[in-house]
Amino acid sequence: MTTAHHGTSHTGHGGGHGANRDRIKVALTGQKQPTKTVLSSLLAIQDEFHYIPNEAIEETAQFCNSTANEVWSVASFYTNFRFTPPGEYTLDVCWGPSCHLMGAQKILKAVQDKIGLDKEGETPDKKITLRYNTCLGSCGLAPCIAVNHHVTGRVTAESAAQLASKLLGQ
Amino acid sequence: MPDPAPLTPFTIDGKPITAKPGQTIIQAAMDAGVYIPYLCYYPKMKPYGACRMCLVETEVKIVRKVKVKKGDLEVEEEQVTVQKATVASCTAPVQKDVVVRTNTEPIIDLRKGVLDLLMAEHPHGCLTCHRIELCGPQDICQRHVSVTDRCTICPKNERCELKDTMRSLELDLRTPLNYHRRNLPVHTDDPFYDRDYNLCIVCARCVRVCEEVRFDTALTLTNRSGVSLVGTTHGSSLLESGCEFCGACIDVCPVGALVERDYKWEKAARRVKTVCTNCPVGCQMIAEVNRYDKVIRFVADLQGEANNGQACFKGKFAYAYPNSKKRLKYPYVRENGVLKRVTWEDALRRVADKLKVFAPNQVAVISSPRGTNEDHFAAQQFARTVLKTQNVDSGLNTVPEIFERLRGRLGNAAGTHPAAHLERSKCIMVVSGNPTEEQNVLAVYMKKAARAGADIIVIDPRETELTRYTSTWLRVKPGTETLALWGIARVIVDEALEDKEFTSNRTSGIDGLKRTLLAEFDPAVVANECGIGEDLLRKAARIYAKSAPAGLVFGVGTMPREGRAALTDAVVNLAFLTGNAVKDGGGIFPLYPGANTQGAYDMACTPDPAQRGTGVADLAAAIADSRIRAAIIMADGLNAEAEGLNGLQKELAHLDYLVVSAVFDTEITATADVVLPAAPYPEQQGTVTNLERRVQMVRRVALPKNEERTGWETVAALARTMGVTGFGYKTAADVFAEIRRVVPQYAGLSHERLQNGGIQWPCADENSPGTAVLLATTQEGQKWAFVDHAPSLTRTAMADSGYPLTLVTGRVLIQPERDPKVAKRGDMNYIGREEVISIHVRDAAAAGIHDGDMIEVASESGPIVSGRARLDSTLQGIVSVTALFGGVVSAMQDSIQADASPYVPELPLRRVKLAKIPARANELAGAR
Repeated sequence: MTTAHHGTSHTGHGGGHGANRDRIKVALTGQKQPTKTVLSSLLAIQDEFHYIPNEAIEETAQFCNSTANEVWSVASFYTNFRFTPPGEYTLDVCWGPSCHLMGAQKILKAVQDKIGLDKEGETPDKKITLRYNTCLGSCGLAPCIAVNHHVTGRVTAESAAQLASKLLGQ
Repeated sequence: MPDPAPLTPFTIDGKPITAKPGQTIIQAAMDAGVYIPYLCYYPKMKPYGACRMCLVETEVKIVRKVKVKKGDLEVEEEQVTVQKATVASCTAPVQKDVVVRTNTEPIIDLRKGVLDLLMAEHPHGCLTCHRIELCGPQDICQRHVSVTDRCTICPKNERCELKDTMRSLELDLRTPLNYHRRNLPVHTDDPFYDRDYNLCIVCARCVRVCEEVRFDTALTLTNRSGVSLVGTTHGSSLLESGCEFCGACIDVCPVGALVERDYKWEKAARRVKTVCTNCPVGCQMIAEVNRYDKVIRFVADLQGEANNGQACFKGKFAYAYPNSKKRLKYPYVRENGVLKRVTWEDALRRVADKLKVFAPNQVAVISSPRGTNEDHFAAQQFARTVLKTQNVDSGLNTVPEIFERLRGRLGNAAGTHPAAHLERSKCIMVVSGNPTEEQNVLAVYMKKAARAGADIIVIDPRETELTRYTSTWLRVKPGTETLALWGIARVIVDEALEDKEFTSNRTSGIDGLKRTLLAEFDPAVVANECGIGEDLLRKAARIYAKSAPAGLVFGVGTMPREGRAALTDAVVNLAFLTGNAVKDGGGIFPLYPGANTQGAYDMACTPDPAQRGTGVADLAAAIADSRIRAAIIMADGLNAEAEGLNGLQKELAHLDYLVVSAVFDTEITATADVVLPAAPYPEQQGTVTNLERRVQMVRRVALPKNEERTGWETVAALARTMGVTGFGYKTAADVFAEIRRVVPQYAGLSHERLQNGGIQWPCADENSPGTAVLLATTQEGQKWAFVDHAPSLTRTAMADSGYPLTLVTGRVLIQPERDPKVAKRGDMNYIGREEVISIHVRDAAAAGIHDGDMIEVASESGPIVSGRARLDSTLQGIVSVTALFGGVVSAMQDSIQADASPYVPELPLRRVKLAKIPARANELAGAR
């Protein structure tokens, strides 16, 4: 997965965007690995757009000599693929065992209170996408959170909330 | 025939049976009449092994020779081990001498455990109730199963395989699991289908039949684990997911999740095998009939030889017109412009008297395109012996040129091979035909061959479903299809790819053909004239000649009349040149409209060219010239505005006398002087002949309720009224007895014999099994002749008259390169996208059109299509547009015609002109 910062030039979700198709084609043909599968193509598109636009399903089907429904069956199988544009920042709060023991629930509560959500999802201003993460792979730094895949360790409820409000631009 | 592979003996529940090679346990058990419950398995589909209902115990004895020390000696001893396993019988191949037990205690426990889980998301209050066999729809439920969860209100009640499975487990399932309702909305917004995924048990039969039998993949399994369910991309409408509305998924659905919307809750009182009469494939169907004798459902028959368990949108959803309340019930005679009800005697007396006024060659007799062989036979017998006219034809015999040329070249006016043999082809060339829509099940075989690696070659200016299966699409200029075929023959001869053995032993005139090819058909010139690259022409020729066996499927959908005979000749030449005319898996398959046009030829219910009779295609012109002044038309399944009838509808009003036998009061009866009520297919007993010469029974489901009569009954009664002998038929079997006496190919057939399934003619005597491949056997020394002179190829020089361009309309199931747009109108989904009209840049300049303009394409008879111009056509003079098939289905569903199938539009070429839609109107259109 990419570690680059999310772009802000989303063209919005839903079909009907002809320009999107060109961008999708570039993402599909720009894959470097020798074996290009439906899965690798979808990943390439998600790297480019940070979500899978509607027309990407059809483009991937054409690219992989498959059908739209078959691509959809792969895409919908993996929970990592999303079909609506994410917020500007993706904020992962780890609630894996280590982080849980170190107080992840408190951190989660603090972040959610700050950004005004009570579950996963986007803030109304599309600034932040909140995700629960089962492990960020940094158990030694528990409890940890990640912004756009950049992990911050040993957070407290206060520092996490502070980070969230910074992302919101407050 | 090679010896069949040996059967494998084994025992099942103590009963010794045998399995055919490659059979799995459940298949062998089914053949032997042993029931093993199953939910995801389905005959003629690949085993899946998902539902685990068909679990069985197997026991195999394995005998091994081992060396054992006995004292000082080492002796060889047989060691017997018994391998026991619990396997899914749908995926387990039969091993020799395996002992299978289907009903042991552990197996039943396992099945119940699986069913427990399966039913956790299917309403099962009734399925686990001891009163299940006693309860009726109106009963007060003693167990408080909520009304919406009861079996009695399920559309598939008593057709439900889940319920049957419960019964096989003797209904004593006491599931500890509560029923979890998914609470999903029922999809009722697509044409013809109701999809209620609350009832789905995710057996994936629908997904698999769509993918591995129909090759459409209009459905898929979405998500995973507990929330996995059948669906489409983003939950889109079937109109945009590539569905061809063939109904295969409905036929295989074991529960009430997928059902036909029409007659959804009707129960079948009986099931009758019959034949669909919408197209020449002649699919064998099972008509489900309710207690009021209405055909409420058409299910493709898995035993059907022609269709192998498949059907199409017409067969599946256009069967119910005989149930319409608008049916004609009594004979009527027009008096002072108003139709007045009369008795049959009166009507026939008047017709008989009136017909005497006209000279024989002023009268035409047209039998119904859905007519049985008996109808056709009686019609031509009546025309020729009573009226003494040669003007007799079948109502949709619009391409007689094909049949006449096939008769001339092959000796029989018919295709050569069984349709199912297309599966074995390594290459299929499709010329100017659209079988996916017009002869649908034929295309299923072709797609199957394509999936197995066969090359599809399409020669057609129109974009059709099959062009999506080919890398070799010769998108030739309209009218140059024949030229392209000659070009292909030239390349084959140039590169010495012909079947030399066949051409020297079984054909004559190859040298003349080669001379003509070399002299007149230079590949570069041909390719240029066709508007394609020479490489593509050569590629097509190489593929067709090198892939043996190769089938040749041809229609004349894009050909003007004067070019059709030459096209047929070119097709036959190619099949002879490569020997494919006789190869197993090769063959020549003509595509034509009309369910029983083949039968009409066999019965001679077509004008004899030698006698200069007027056929239905020329009828309009003959009426306009007053050569024909009176006509008897059997109009069941006839749309007089159909493209091939050349404007017949308009001319009917100019007849002096018109007798119409019809099922409905349509525009054909509007100017009729006498209207007679016709009995449609469920009220007929008779035979029809399909495009592979298979004669099949149409079975009577019910007697006519009023005074309707079948075609032969009408004609015979009229003949008797006229005082003629020879029409004393009492039943259809009597007519058939006369047919077999007169028609040599039918000599061995009888209604009795055909009860057990169709037989392909020629069938010389009672013991003959019929003839699958027409040219396989020939007399000693018989040689097929090539047509060795170049035809005068008319290049579509249609009259200009202000319409300078040719519109080529294509239609496909799905266009992944474009965003499909489905719009809601009322409660229903419709295709709501803007069409893209492809124009050559010079034609656009001439009409003052720029890329992206909104334009309208209009023919002489009015506007045809409007959309956004794109200047990317490679052929000057050609405008093309490709629509989505979903539009046809929506139109069929909304049709005001009770009998919608004859009104399904074809894809003809039209002379058109372009007009820019002014920006103002453009905005209005956008606002709408």
